[in-house]
Amino acid sequence: MQTLKVKIADLAVLRERGILLTVGLGSCVGIALHDAENKVGGLAHILLSCSCQFENRANSFNPAKFADTAIPLLVEEMEKQGGKRSRMRAKIAGGSQLFSYRQSNGVSIGERNIEAVRQTLKKLEIPIRGEDVGGNYGRTMRFFVETGKVVISTVGKGEKEL
Amino acid sequence: MKKRRLSREKFDVLKELANIGVGNALTSLSKMLNEEKVEMEVPEADLAPLQDIPDLLGGAELPVAGIYIESHGDIGLTILFVLSLDSAYKLISALLPDSQGELDEMGRSVLLEVGNILTGSYLNAFSIMTDSRMLPSPPKIAVDMSGAIISTVIAEARIVDDEVVILKTSLNSQQSNISGHILILPDRGSLKKIFTLLGVR
Repeated sequence: MQTLKVKIADLAVLRERGILLTVGLGSCVGIALHDAENKVGGLAHILLSCSCQFENRANSFNPAKFADTAIPLLVEEMEKQGGKRSRMRAKIAGGSQLFSYRQSNGVSIGERNIEAVRQTLKKLEIPIRGEDVGGNYGRTMRFFVETGKVVISTVGKGEKEL
Repeated sequence: MKKRRLSREKFDVLKELANIGVGNALTSLSKMLNEEKVEMEVPEADLAPLQDIPDLLGGAELPVAGIYIESHGDIGLTILFVLSLDSAYKLISALLPDSQGELDEMGRSVLLEVGNILTGSYLNAFSIMTDSRMLPSPPKIAVDMSGAIISTVIAEARIVDDEVVILKTSLNSQQSNISGHILILPDRGSLKKIFTLLGVR
């Protein structure tokens, strides 16, 4: 079976079968979208919550880096492959806080990322059907496009199916 | 779309900064290990694509211990000291002979202290060379997949460029065979300051 690796600040779409894989989610969040009827699956690996503070600073703009721009783009790419937004369901993982200190305002980058992912999915009216978020450990995400199954693996904390 | 390019001269300056700073840090590490010889590789200065950074240290899924320090002040730097789990255990045993070398709370605080001393001596050298004030934050530690650690550090440092200037060096202690990597990520504004302070155009 084909395995397609999604790197940090990247996204990919597969049809029918195959595995979308993203490795080493820390404060980053992986978003798996699935249209079960047409068997279209997409996976994004976002780094930060909002493009708003950065659009002018970056020397080139990569929408896959941010929750608010990556998810709409992922939906669009899935629609090109025959997916339909109203049928899409989401599973999300990551957004942890690996290091022991908090940000000065009390909200970690991971928490902010999760919140932005939830908001963006809500805006797009895509329900979340499974999640493994927060905590203080990293995750690897395997998304089986045919069935919509997502398997999360960790270092020393075992595996989990969403 | 504006592409950032650094001249070869600038890369050489960055390498030299890494070289002297890390050299200083190694002397501290060697002292901690009872004068055991610690070697380092010639530092590399690279403009690495953001997407390749999680794989820089031998695979994103490799479990490692990462000690991370941000330095603010005149120049903003993020420093990450990464050890394989095996090296982390050896380092803890070497410094705490009575312990089991475990990554429990005691073991972690030993690694934090090592990180503190290494980065402290690195920043001292850096500060003297550039005549600038460095204000390091307390070190933080995580034991996890190397990709998760590095990407979290990138997010914490708010690095949003597609290509990241990264200074990397590896070190190895001869007898106890402890090996690790030091990654230094200057923030965007600080590169300009470094070159100005050193008179590089």
